[in-house]
Amino acid sequence: MISADTFLFVLASGVLLGGLYALMATGLAVVWTTLGVFNFAHGVFVALGAYIAWQVTQSVTGSVGYLLGAALSVVLMFGVGFVLHYVLVKPFERNANLVLLAVITTLAAASIIENGILLVWGARDKQIEPPISGTIGLMGAEISANDVMILIVALLALLVLAIFLRRTATGRAMRAVAQNREAAELMGLNVSRLYAMTIGLSAATAALAGVFIGSVRFISPTFGSDPLMKSLIVVILGGVARFTSPILAAFIVGIAESFSVYFLGLYWAPAVLFAMMIAVLLIKPEGLFGHRSKTL
Amino acid sequence: MSEALLEVRDLSGGYPPVSVFRGVSLSVGEEESVGLFGPNGHGKTTLLKTVAGLIDPWEGDVVFQGLRLNAEGKMRPRISRNFNYDLFQKRRIRAATVVEAGVIYVMQGNLLFPEMTVEEVLGVAPLAAKGRSGVREMRERVHHLFPRLQERRSSKIRYLSGGERQMVSIAVGLLALPKLLILDEPTLGLSPKLRLELMQAVRQIRESRVPLIIVDQNIEFLSGLVDRLLLFDHGAITREIDAGSMPSHDEAMAMMFGESH
Repeated sequence: MISADTFLFVLASGVLLGGLYALMATGLAVVWTTLGVFNFAHGVFVALGAYIAWQVTQSVTGSVGYLLGAALSVVLMFGVGFVLHYVLVKPFERNANLVLLAVITTLAAASIIENGILLVWGARDKQIEPPISGTIGLMGAEISANDVMILIVALLALLVLAIFLRRTATGRAMRAVAQNREAAELMGLNVSRLYAMTIGLSAATAALAGVFIGSVRFISPTFGSDPLMKSLIVVILGGVARFTSPILAAFIVGIAESFSVYFLGLYWAPAVLFAMMIAVLLIKPEGLFGHRSKTL
Repeated sequence: MSEALLEVRDLSGGYPPVSVFRGVSLSVGEEESVGLFGPNGHGKTTLLKTVAGLIDPWEGDVVFQGLRLNAEGKMRPRISRNFNYDLFQKRRIRAATVVEAGVIYVMQGNLLFPEMTVEEVLGVAPLAAKGRSGVREMRERVHHLFPRLQERRSSKIRYLSGGERQMVSIAVGLLALPKLLILDEPTLGLSPKLRLELMQAVRQIRESRVPLIIVDQNIEFLSGLVDRLLLFDHGAITREIDAGSMPSHDEAMAMMFGESH
């Protein structure tokens, strides 16, 4: 079967994956609950974020370069998300088919950005050098220190996002717009800007995830499509009833993926995840942790 | 009449291509309170939503304190379905402009923000006041007006009763420090006890000299509250009645539908 330390190792890598998925899926869920559109460019946000950080680490080496790259990537991607709202969503706001149109515009943007990356950085795989090396022993299993750092920072980032949405005036205004656009307009809130900030925040979390993925795997211009698919599975599996719904689902998906890879092999893992997703859709369409409402 | 605070001139609107109200003119003076009475489904709410900036007017102007809130001219009709007109055609009125001017519309049966707590909603509300002073005093008054909200401050809006929700809506409107408050059927669908409580609150708001436009189905309640009553019928104001000669419910119905309604 499986020895105790192998089990722990597989579990730990599943938890790490879960942390990354949580970061990406929350961004996707926040946009979905606030704007009511599905952002198919979320995957390339992850990729572009990783490339920006990689570019910085080419001129500034060591962990300083990593930190600088991550910070710059998060900030720049917030800006990219903010601007893209005015290009991809806002012009179609009053159209009855907004949801469908946004699928197409975000897919188009994804394709354009992806090819842009190919043009600028080329097709060769790259890797961001991890800021810390070494391993941590956990009950006999050796776990990479970088992985532990990633998990902790990812969860911290989500905590910061949750506090921002709950405690600050801007965050509360964003939740207000998400829950009742008309009432928010009547309070004089600048709906477009709050929407743009929502996509910006979502892009920023995607960028952070991209930097992390870039330091544990190789990055290529098309590597955003896998994270997008996984975030999609997570959001559907967990539902979006609470802020924590996609996060819990992300860990379920991460651990399930990691064990599927171990027992069934790399190529069967997506099949297992999609089977789980279909089962959830059949039995509880609003998601494992969902009610019919969708909120932040 | 003293100088008009709000002046609506020949306003027409609706949901294209359906015209809902046509050529409506009305004005509200300083410290004045105006009632709007009329049957359901005749466009009162659409009119008020247009004034509040949620729906684009087709024609006519909304002027507040001498400032026109809407874009000039008429709405251009769509001549082709093949263009994304929304890209070229700007909104003709924006809720943000109206709110900034100080006109606050309290929606009918407002669901507000179902997943936020009363406290959070009342915390966001003063954003509409755009930094004008007096929010703290208004908060005191709102506490005094609706002590019940204080008890329920950590409940989510969706767990509140209809009456409590209406109280939150009005409180949100007041915290925006309105120069003119529009209340759309504040007592709709409430239990008799809550209805009385809300009517009492609206009377207190009136006593504090906040100019009001108020829609209600209860003409006795309106009569005691407003300086002028406008009868609204089939998308137009058909009659204006002064405080001295307020009709009873039956009389008002007769005015609108003829003697044998």
